[in-house]
Amino acid sequence: MSQTIAHSGAEAHAETVHHHELSFFHKYIWSEDHKTIAIQYLFASFFFLIIGGLLAMGVRYQLAFSGAPIPLIGTLLPKWLVTDAGAIQPQGYNGLVTMHATVMVFLVMMPLLVGVFGNFLIPLKIGAPDMAFPFFNALSFWLFLVSGIILLSSYFAPTGFPAAGWTAYAPLSANGAYNGSQAGQSLWCIGLFLNGLASIAGAVNYITTVINMRAPGMKMFRLPLPVWAIFITSILLLLAVPVLSAAAAMLFFDLNFGTSFFEASHYGQPLLWQHLFWFFGHPEVYILVLPAMGLVSEMLAVFSRKPIFGYKAMVYAMVAIGFLGFIVWGHHMFVSGMNLMLSSTFSLSTMVIAVPSAIKTFNWLGTVWGGSIRFTTPMCFALAFVSMFVIGGLSGIYMASTPVDLFIHHTYFIVAHFHYVIFGGSLFGVFGAIYFWFPKMFGRMMNEFWGKVHFVLSFMFFNLTFFPMHNLGLNGMPRRIADPGLYDFLKSQQPLQIFVSLSAFGLGLSTLIFFVNFFYSMFKGPKAPRNPWNSTTLEWTLPSPPGHGNFPVTPTVYNGPYEYSVPGMDQDFLPQNQPAPKTARLAVH
Amino acid sequence: MSFWRSSFARCGLIVAVLLAGLGTCWADPRTSNLWWLPENATEGGVYIDQLIYFILFLTGAVFVLTQAVYIFFIIKYRAKKGVRATYSHGNNRLEIIWTAIPTAIFIGLWGYSNHLWWDVLHSTPPANALQVGVAAYQFGFSFQYPGADGKLGKADANFVSNDNMFGNDPDDPDAKDNFTSSTLEIPVNRAVHIRLDSKDVIHAFYVPQFRVYQDILPGRIIDWVWFTPTKIGKFQLACSQLCGSGHYNMKADIQVVSEADFEKWYQEKAKAVQPQPGAKLSSITETKDQ
Ligand code: HEM
Ligand SMILES: [Cu+2]
Ligand SMILES: [Cu+2]
Repeated sequence: MSQTIAHSGAEAHAETVHHHELSFFHKYIWSEDHKTIAIQYLFASFFFLIIGGLLAMGVRYQLAFSGAPIPLIGTLLPKWLVTDAGAIQPQGYNGLVTMHATVMVFLVMMPLLVGVFGNFLIPLKIGAPDMAFPFFNALSFWLFLVSGIILLSSYFAPTGFPAAGWTAYAPLSANGAYNGSQAGQSLWCIGLFLNGLASIAGAVNYITTVINMRAPGMKMFRLPLPVWAIFITSILLLLAVPVLSAAAAMLFFDLNFGTSFFEASHYGQPLLWQHLFWFFGHPEVYILVLPAMGLVSEMLAVFSRKPIFGYKAMVYAMVAIGFLGFIVWGHHMFVSGMNLMLSSTFSLSTMVIAVPSAIKTFNWLGTVWGGSIRFTTPMCFALAFVSMFVIGGLSGIYMASTPVDLFIHHTYFIVAHFHYVIFGGSLFGVFGAIYFWFPKMFGRMMNEFWGKVHFVLSFMFFNLTFFPMHNLGLNGMPRRIADPGLYDFLKSQQPLQIFVSLSAFGLGLSTLIFFVNFFYSMFKGPKAPRNPWNSTTLEWTLPSPPGHGNFPVTPTVYNGPYEYSVPGMDQDFLPQNQPAPKTARLAVH
Repeated sequence: MSFWRSSFARCGLIVAVLLAGLGTCWADPRTSNLWWLPENATEGGVYIDQLIYFILFLTGAVFVLTQAVYIFFIIKYRAKKGVRATYSHGNNRLEIIWTAIPTAIFIGLWGYSNHLWWDVLHSTPPANALQVGVAAYQFGFSFQYPGADGKLGKADANFVSNDNMFGNDPDDPDAKDNFTSSTLEIPVNRAVHIRLDSKDVIHAFYVPQFRVYQDILPGRIIDWVWFTPTKIGKFQLACSQLCGSGHYNMKADIQVVSEADFEKWYQEKAKAVQPQPGAKLSSITETKDQ
């Protein structure tokens, strides 16, 4: 420990001044420094997370109290959304559901996982001065921001938000006369197209950087798992996102220029949209979870003070997920009306893709086994990730089975499923990662006590919100129904709907604790040392925050990423840039 | 010590409040089917339920086992003064075991599921099955019955229009005596074979008690769904695929009645249809249900 921490203030200062002073504009607005871009992504995603969260609150309000005017702000809302009395109306509800999901997927989770942590961690962890294409990196962020503004701007259109679901099934989405929100749906296409360009620019950058810019000694099998995860994710992005972009362009043409790619009434193919969307959509769900798996693996190793159990198995499992992820998209379409034989084959590939997820889970158990576990806030979130991911993964098995999916497709069971993986999984992973890398990003520590409060409350409210949704779905509650009270077989569910909504409001409120802690700590938190968690990877050898250009001297890498508790050493971690002392008994593996 | 006691008390209080909240969910006991699966009302549903219970058992066991081990590890291996973590990079034999076992289980489960998918749910419907056409539109359903001759006749998605919602072939005489209904009336214990088409966007045919779901596509007629109701009673058909501003209220009533009641209803409806020689089909399909 003494060796790394010994570098102190004076030297840190020396490290930052090699580089010429940047103007305000180049430092904060059009910055080409990957660390600044990561922070730009972080703040933008926070903004969108708040919007997406409010939309979810609207959805839950309607499901619990349909027909009741929204207190306080009801009458201030636009007419496409609410009645004169201020209650949400059905078409407005469709808009809320559509935009909640669109925002959370494209403007919150993707940028948080890939934009923030991909940008921040890749160069620092592989010993590079910056990304391979800093200009494209900045461009990627600004394209992303513009795409978000375009997507949300339909709020001001007279017909409001797009209302065909985030999956935008054609021909509903392909014709303004069907969906009642021509403007919103067109903006949705443009927004997703630009968002796709941003993702592609980012992906090219990450792939090139990881392949070409690793410090000497940083072999592929010495890469920390977050880097592996984001590397594989980037390949998925590069192969999947262009398909969505193309589909969005075709949809835009159908909507506005009278083409008929998806319109059955003119011999277009409605199912073509679903194939294109899910060919993107399934890799997308792994894009939304692989990076979190990488981040969580690292936190589990650091706070168990143990090497990752089965590092190579972890990597191979992610590669397998990436590959198989491209041949399972039909499991979203078992009952879509496509050939029944395809349902059989997609069911088989889906069963198979559950295997690498199982492998990863067992290796996480192996990692905490025999550890010396420190229950810091990031560790609590990482530990929770595993359990929540297991629940989401197991509910996936129900849907992989065609006859069961026949019954639960398009019910709340699915809503429960993907919130367990995306929220309980990925978003918890991201919360943990923010607590973990905050010191490196901002040079200060976040408050542990309030971090734990945030953890306990969000863990509790998350489960109270989403676990009962399994029951609602099995009990027959379809998704995207603005007023379940109209159905005889759903009337009895009302008390549980109210319970879920109240828990959801609690979940929303508990997130405020996180934001307060975050912004307070940014300015007032205790100063962070270089390596507050005694980690082995390269970013922790730099000052907090690292200067422009990162490494004053390109580091040389001698070890794998997770050499914790090596026998024969005093300190319980061996940084990647330090040759092992003679006494250390490193395992050959 | 007293700190622990009081904080335990506080936890207890929170749990009690939550349980009370859950308790209110029992507000409508017995008649309600708030919990778990709704009552099953078809022959095929029995098999789906069995499969759900089987998967519940399987995933439940996996969940309990992994979580128990996980929580045990988390408690047992919490940091203790002077105890260092075990230095281990893994174990290849374990990797092989925990790859092979799940693979075998999942492929087995696929075999079971796939057998059900083909041999039970999508086998050929029995010859005496009642044919019913189901047309979906923004925002409602309409049903077409074969009429006196017992035959629905040919249909093609290209014929679907405002005047011919079911896509009947205008040249097929079998379709001339078909009649329509705004509710789905079906006899108990006889197979019902439905033929689905949509006039505009994608809708869905979803009846939770029947364990049946099928998207209804525009531009394609879907004719592989059939089921055998086993319970007399009133059910509801819900459109379960977001289809526009009126989607939230797109539903239709289903009456499962005894064979005798069904015959009576059917004969009356069939009599009311008297196709004029050379009459446009539209005038027939327009026949409204009173
Ligand atoms: C407090 C937090 C949240 C609440 C209460 C919430 C609630 C809901 C509800 C009720 C629906 C279903 C609406 C319907 O179909 O009728 C939904 C859909 C969805 N949510 Fe969330 N959600 C939350 C956070 C998130 C997060 C963090 C994500 C991250 C990606 C997310 C992603 C989605 C997606 C993809 C859908 C699918 C929408 C669709 O296909 O219709 N949600 N959410
Ligand atoms: Cu999928
Ligand atoms: Cu509908």
